[in-house]
Amino acid sequence: MPKKHYFDIKWLFILAIAAFLAVFQVFPLIYLVLRAFHVDGRLSLEGVKRIYTYAMNWSCLKNTILTAGLAMVFGTALAVPLAWLTGRTNLYGRSFFRFLFVTTYMVPPYVGAMAWLRLLNPNVGTLNVLLKNLLGLEQTPFNIYSIGGLVWVLTTFYFPYAFITISRAMEKMDPSLEEASRISGASPLRTLFTVTLPLMLPSIVAAALLVFVAASSCYGIPSIIGAPGQIYTVTTRIMDYVSVGSQQGLTDAANLAVFLMAISLAVLYFSKFVVGKRDYITVSGKSTQPSLVDLGRWRVPITVLTGLFALLVIILPFLTVFTTSVTVNLGKSVFAPDNFSLKFWHTALTRKSILGSAKNSLLSAVLAASIGMLICLVMAYLLKRTSVRGREIPDFFITVGSGTPSVVIALALIMTMSGRFGINIYNTMAIMVVAYMIKYMLMGMRTVVSAFSQVSPSLEEAAQISGAGWLRRMRDVLFPLIVPSIVAGWFLIFMPCFYELTMSNLLYSTNTKTLGVELFTYQTYHSQQTASALAGGILLLVVAVNLALDRLTKGKFSI
Amino acid sequence: MSLISIDHVTKSFGNVEVLRDFSAEFRDGEFITLLGPSGCGKTTILRIIAGFEKPSSGEVRIDGRTVSSPGVFVPPEERGIGMVFQSYAVWPHMNVFNNVAYPLRIRNTPQAELRRRVEEILEAVHLDGYAERMPAQLSGGQQQRVALGRALVAESKLLLLDEPLSNLDAKLRESMRYEIKEIQKKLGITVVFVTHDRLEAMTMSDRVFILNGGVIQQTGSPIDIYRHPVNPFVANFMGEVNFLRGKAGGGKITLADTDCSLPYSGPLSGDVVVAIRPENLRLTAEGRLRGKLTAMFYLGEASDCRVDAGGASLRVSAEAGTWDRLRIGDTVGLDFESFLAYPAEEALP
Repeated sequence: MPKKHYFDIKWLFILAIAAFLAVFQVFPLIYLVLRAFHVDGRLSLEGVKRIYTYAMNWSCLKNTILTAGLAMVFGTALAVPLAWLTGRTNLYGRSFFRFLFVTTYMVPPYVGAMAWLRLLNPNVGTLNVLLKNLLGLEQTPFNIYSIGGLVWVLTTFYFPYAFITISRAMEKMDPSLEEASRISGASPLRTLFTVTLPLMLPSIVAAALLVFVAASSCYGIPSIIGAPGQIYTVTTRIMDYVSVGSQQGLTDAANLAVFLMAISLAVLYFSKFVVGKRDYITVSGKSTQPSLVDLGRWRVPITVLTGLFALLVIILPFLTVFTTSVTVNLGKSVFAPDNFSLKFWHTALTRKSILGSAKNSLLSAVLAASIGMLICLVMAYLLKRTSVRGREIPDFFITVGSGTPSVVIALALIMTMSGRFGINIYNTMAIMVVAYMIKYMLMGMRTVVSAFSQVSPSLEEAAQISGAGWLRRMRDVLFPLIVPSIVAGWFLIFMPCFYELTMSNLLYSTNTKTLGVELFTYQTYHSQQTASALAGGILLLVVAVNLALDRLTKGKFSI
Repeated sequence: MSLISIDHVTKSFGNVEVLRDFSAEFRDGEFITLLGPSGCGKTTILRIIAGFEKPSSGEVRIDGRTVSSPGVFVPPEERGIGMVFQSYAVWPHMNVFNNVAYPLRIRNTPQAELRRRVEEILEAVHLDGYAERMPAQLSGGQQQRVALGRALVAESKLLLLDEPLSNLDAKLRESMRYEIKEIQKKLGITVVFVTHDRLEAMTMSDRVFILNGGVIQQTGSPIDIYRHPVNPFVANFMGEVNFLRGKAGGGKITLADTDCSLPYSGPLSGDVVVAIRPENLRLTAEGRLRGKLTAMFYLGEASDCRVDAGGASLRVSAEAGTWDRLRIGDTVGLDFESFLAYPAEEALP
């Protein structure tokens, strides 16, 4: 009697991972929303009413929308020309500039806040003092502790999000569309405005919305820059409510969090279903290199301008972090006598508590990246290689998770994973790993999904018809073919987890302190120099990882 | 004995029905070609035989064993079939030897035997000396042979070919046609070959299945189908054909809008469609159907002519010398050597 039913092990994997996602990601977020609309176990809008009666909360909402909105406008306005210049023109050093902007994407935003704090402090900011002396002003020209300061730092650290998205869309566009315009008699500039930009519009809108979501859910920058200037945003306010620690505090936090989540999800929805529908960028075979626009006599001036921009927005803050880390007295120049010292680096690299935190960060980031990639691989397989109904649901939730602000994720996990529903991982590293995965898995997912789309299904089918079962096919065919993308995706999850601040700050316990928390504590309470040394170390790591990734994926990894 | 039986198989993707109540028997050692335009369902049948698609209903048996039916589904890796994909699907990260050896590795073939088998196969597909090459270093034709070798190495009784020649240039295609046929005869295996190219179907097949819209139109030997197509679609798909409207009755068919009539003893009467292949039309000075020569192409071995007659532009394959005899614009006559008639309500392709 021949075998009648064949068990396919892939379903076991897919089910296990779908269940994992449901328990640790979908359930907490849904619970958070329900909680916001419940008072004493009944469905009610009381909690919502209470929270919005405080003028303080209204000002937080206003600040969040204003700063994120302006950062979105400025960030996109910067990203579009930069993406075009580095992707489609003969700008000098275009791949160098591209690398620089992409690297900034990987730098933790709070490092930027620390640097600009040093540069534009209203009394002693290096750049402020320099400008005052240079221009003979009565007062220093800038005050970083302001809405303007907040917008500036948010813009400089979130424009790379838009830059990367728009660059990729420009790369993917079929160059023959532009060539058709040129052969019809349009100049390069006219082609840009009549063909390229209109085609790019959906990607530009998507990029702008990405900046908005990232900036509105950012905690590091407003907490470092906003708090001293008494400027509060929704994220810092939620953190305050949580630190109160009472049930009422948690409910109020949940209410604000739901507001933030609603904004993010609305934007996400808009970007995916409204803008996404109008996306006519066609992926051509990649065989034709897009022709580069000759900048002509503008080539040198534009290159100089781009260089100055990079100097101001990237190199200057990064340098500031390094000089701060070796300056004894921050009131004086690093070149003043006896003011240079490596002792802060020594502290950062030897102090037991810091090393312990670094170990925690490393371990939790490695776990989050490894488990996250496993999930991404299986879910990408489900999405791209099966025809199961609902196969796009996990992908959707991974996207929603990533679009959810970090404070919201942390809050949802605190509420659901502390034993109330039979799972207690509060105060353990596990809860941080789960939080990291929810927030950053999307990067791995995108990378793996795009790798899957480039591997013809027939390669796997050929192995199957040769007699190979699922695990064997994965090992022999699919895995070796997409290994560069798996490594790239792994690092794209690993890096932000390694220096994560916001969620760690809410979820750490004495045994599971992370590098981000350590750095933040030093920056806020102890020693800016030691914090800068730590940030400097992270910066070096980011650059190294980026160089490696660049090699690995030939400069084409996605977000 | 039939190697493959397909019993009342239906397949839908969403609301689109690509196969409708498909039944066929493929005999042991036969070279079967599934021929049809794109979207006719031919690749779907192949993928159902391989196990890459589950039929919506119906049953498939291979070598007496039920592999697909309600309640039974044998996955592709358990079916023991060889297959060549349209894109070849040669694994780019393995060299030629490892690509070809893969099915044997899965079957845990001992090392010495594996090496012997692979070398044998590489020789059979004319790739001896290429074992260490990577696929990127091979031409399209060579990659195709790797795929063929991989499909043959495990000595399956059944080989599936999914438009394997469509990405090759004309010359290579011709020689591969011959080689695949030779290998099939030598090994005595059953081949199911999917193509939209009628030349491939005619030169290689024992039996051809002509498909359209998920339904078999006609089955038979290539010659039989070419000479006796059952409907205008098949006539058109198996080769060039001219269609003319006419009226049957009284032992003849009178062509519409002409005074020309053809002797006819078939069963049809009333409005009909007459189908004539270009090589069955003769250009003669006194031909019954009068027309005007509107274009002429010199092909070397023949002259391809267009003649406006009977309200249509007819394609005529004339002897090469016609080129020197006639000029564009000349009035000519056409004689019919043989033709077929279909009821007028048959849809014209």
